[in-house]
Amino acid sequence: MDTAEHAVYRAAIQGDRDAFERVIRLTSRQLFAIAYGILQNREEAEDVVQDTFVKAWKARWRIRDSAKLPAWLSTIARHRARDMARKRKPERLPENFESTEAVELEGATGERADLDHEVRSALAQLPELHRVAVTLRYFEDLDYGTIERTLGLTNGALRGILGRALGLMRKRLKPALATAG
Amino acid sequence: MLMATTHEQLDELLAADLHDELTTAERDEFHAHLVECAECRVAFQEGKTMNRILNETMSEKKADPGFEQRMVSQFRDRVPKRSGLIALVTDLMRVRAVQLTAVAAVLLALAQMGKMITGESATPKMRSDNSVALAESQYRSEQEKPGATLQAAGVLGKNDGRTKTVADVSRPAEAPPPPPPMDAVTSTAPKPVEALRRVPSSLASAKTKKAEFKDEKTPASTVEAVEQSEPETSGTPSATNAAANRKLVRNATAELEVASFDESVQKITAFAAEEKGYVSTTSSEKQANGKLRGEIVVKVLPENLDRFLGKLRGIGELKNQALTTEDVTKTYFDTESRLKNARLMEQRLIEILKTKSKDVADLLEVEKELGRVREEIETMQGELKFMDSQVAFATVTITLAEKNMNLPAAFLLKERAQLSLYATEVEKTYNDIKALASPKVQITNAQIDRDNTGRVSARLSLLLAPDESEAVINQIKAMARVENFQVTTDRVSQGGDGLGENAKTERDKVELNITLSRDEQEIALQTTSLRIQTPEVNDKTKQLRALAEQQGGRIRTSSFSRDPNGREYSNVSLRVPMKNYNALIQSLNGLGKVENVSVRRDDRPNSQTDEANAPADVSIQVYSQGNIVSADTGIWATLRRTIGQGAAALMWSVRMIGVAIAFLAPWALILAAIGWVLRRVSRARTARKEKTDETIDAQ
Repeated sequence: MDTAEHAVYRAAIQGDRDAFERVIRLTSRQLFAIAYGILQNREEAEDVVQDTFVKAWKARWRIRDSAKLPAWLSTIARHRARDMARKRKPERLPENFESTEAVELEGATGERADLDHEVRSALAQLPELHRVAVTLRYFEDLDYGTIERTLGLTNGALRGILGRALGLMRKRLKPALATAG
Repeated sequence: MLMATTHEQLDELLAADLHDELTTAERDEFHAHLVECAECRVAFQEGKTMNRILNETMSEKKADPGFEQRMVSQFRDRVPKRSGLIALVTDLMRVRAVQLTAVAAVLLALAQMGKMITGESATPKMRSDNSVALAESQYRSEQEKPGATLQAAGVLGKNDGRTKTVADVSRPAEAPPPPPPMDAVTSTAPKPVEALRRVPSSLASAKTKKAEFKDEKTPASTVEAVEQSEPETSGTPSATNAAANRKLVRNATAELEVASFDESVQKITAFAAEEKGYVSTTSSEKQANGKLRGEIVVKVLPENLDRFLGKLRGIGELKNQALTTEDVTKTYFDTESRLKNARLMEQRLIEILKTKSKDVADLLEVEKELGRVREEIETMQGELKFMDSQVAFATVTITLAEKNMNLPAAFLLKERAQLSLYATEVEKTYNDIKALASPKVQITNAQIDRDNTGRVSARLSLLLAPDESEAVINQIKAMARVENFQVTTDRVSQGGDGLGENAKTERDKVELNITLSRDEQEIALQTTSLRIQTPEVNDKTKQLRALAEQQGGRIRTSSFSRDPNGREYSNVSLRVPMKNYNALIQSLNGLGKVENVSVRRDDRPNSQTDEANAPADVSIQVYSQGNIVSADTGIWATLRRTIGQGAAALMWSVRMIGVAIAFLAPWALILAAIGWVLRRVSRARTARKEKTDETIDAQ
């Protein structure tokens, strides 16, 4: 992390609104990826990111080490997303969610839609952290270093997580991949 | 080996390779492995495909380009910017150092408040400074007013030194009007004294002294100041003049201890003559021990009073002295002016009597009034005369007492006797003592108590004439056994204390207190216990009783028992007078083998005991050797005992089991309950988890 970024984090923690807005610009995409990784829903993920920043602003004096601000933000986002997922469980049962999704997907070719659906379900079956790591990687094409910082992981751990995640998905998608390949 | 690890780490390496995160060495190694391993090659192909698909599908769903801007603007909407000061304060409050400072400040404030409430602060000092400043400012403001200076000076003069210095300090700087305040006070001081001196002479024209004063008060403020400063000017020459003009009644009292009363009276008379006085009264009184005590009242001229008192000290030892002065000036002059008025009235009445002598009734009325006025005049004249005499001479009251006033005149011997008796028949002895009553033997108190166990005790108090006392006491002593007799004699001095070598000694009535108890209750002087072994217990016991009877003993308790082994016991306890004790013990030897003799003697060193008649207790156990084999042995007895013991042991173990259950059962129940709850909770949790998994699957 460069010193300029660090200075921005520190200013944001000390209550500089401009610096905090800069932090929003820097981290919102990653947080969105995390939230989406957990919730698999754009609107909800966006709400989570929004809530995360409001909450972080109000509780910013709690963080001591400014370098850990991104990791702290992602922790908040993950908690928030998990809360939301828990809350919506009963009302997600109605079938109209599936139907809207289906309508949306109809735009793509039949084969692509199938593959897309399978990828999604394979992703959904991964453990939460794996899902988040995969989403971060493929959404924003982030390098491992940034992902590690965002999720507060070591290099070895992240490699293991991504490897296992992709391996699992690969096994699940094997038939589909065979046809696609 | 290396290949094997690579193979095992396939997933990880594959992912890193696809994400371009492998080091060059790792990549080379991985690709080398791919060439060799067909399985991994397939996996690599699949991974590549999946990576592509993921890249395609996921990038579609990622945040749109305007996402960041949207986030920022929404944040601005949701968290409005606070105005400068509040923001600053709230931000400040979040800094740790500021929080600590705030807490410290609050604590300090509380401590200060507590101090203020309990009044422990240093504020009084400040307040005194304030008051000085206030006085100064008042003084200044009054200086500006003409004519008020003196008043202010008077007020300040009355105050303590501090405020006075303020006035002094401020005076030279301010350059006050012509007469400086303090000078004014001293210069005008004699004025009222003169006025006072003039009072008696000017009474004829003025009605009251107050009115006279008013005339003198030319500038009101000056006199006021003077009046206030007057108490301070005492001690200056003018003050003595004032005192001379006053009507003062001086009185003194003195108490002296002298060697001889008569000599002292003569000396005092001489002193009184020297000081132009006289002895007005003397009185004396002779004490029982021949010493004199008395009072002398001397009148001397007031101015010689102090010298006279000084001379008095030479006569003997001064015990105490008091000097009082009463100011009767006001009463005196009031009476005098009333007298003047009364005289005028008399004059007028006489005029009326002379000129208007027409109506007899009126004349009578005037005559009557004249009589009343004259009576009044006489009373007032008398009062004035009395006061004059009081003022003219000082009264000295001297109390004289000869030395060793308290030497005793006589002694009284008071005898008090305490007699404790043991009687066989308490009631009879009690009545016998009561029968002794005569004018010289008075019974002051007699009571007899009987409690529910049949114990009887009596208490008597007698007053005996001194000459009869010994005979009566001996007579009573003969009636019963004396346990204790004590006499205390007090020598009481009368009319003082000390040795009193010449005093007479008299014997007073003798006070005798008697306690009567039944002899059964008496504690034996000697207690003996012994055992006698003999084959015929019954016969020997009978013999023992006979022996005891012979020696004047009394059987108190006896018992007989036989145990299952055929052994017989007979317990006898008896009481015998000490004089017969030895004979009894000797005769016991004839009954059988005497064993286990133990003797305890209970000496009472502080009482006079009649030892020959004192009781001795003897408890004797007469017993026989039983059968060698007791009835309680044999096979059946043993069997019975064994079964009994076994049953008892069984019962005991049952009881112990009960106790153990009582100890453990509650805990076992509690543990079971906790286990049940935990199981319920965990089951509920797994059920919920399964449900969520199902829903996820459903998605």
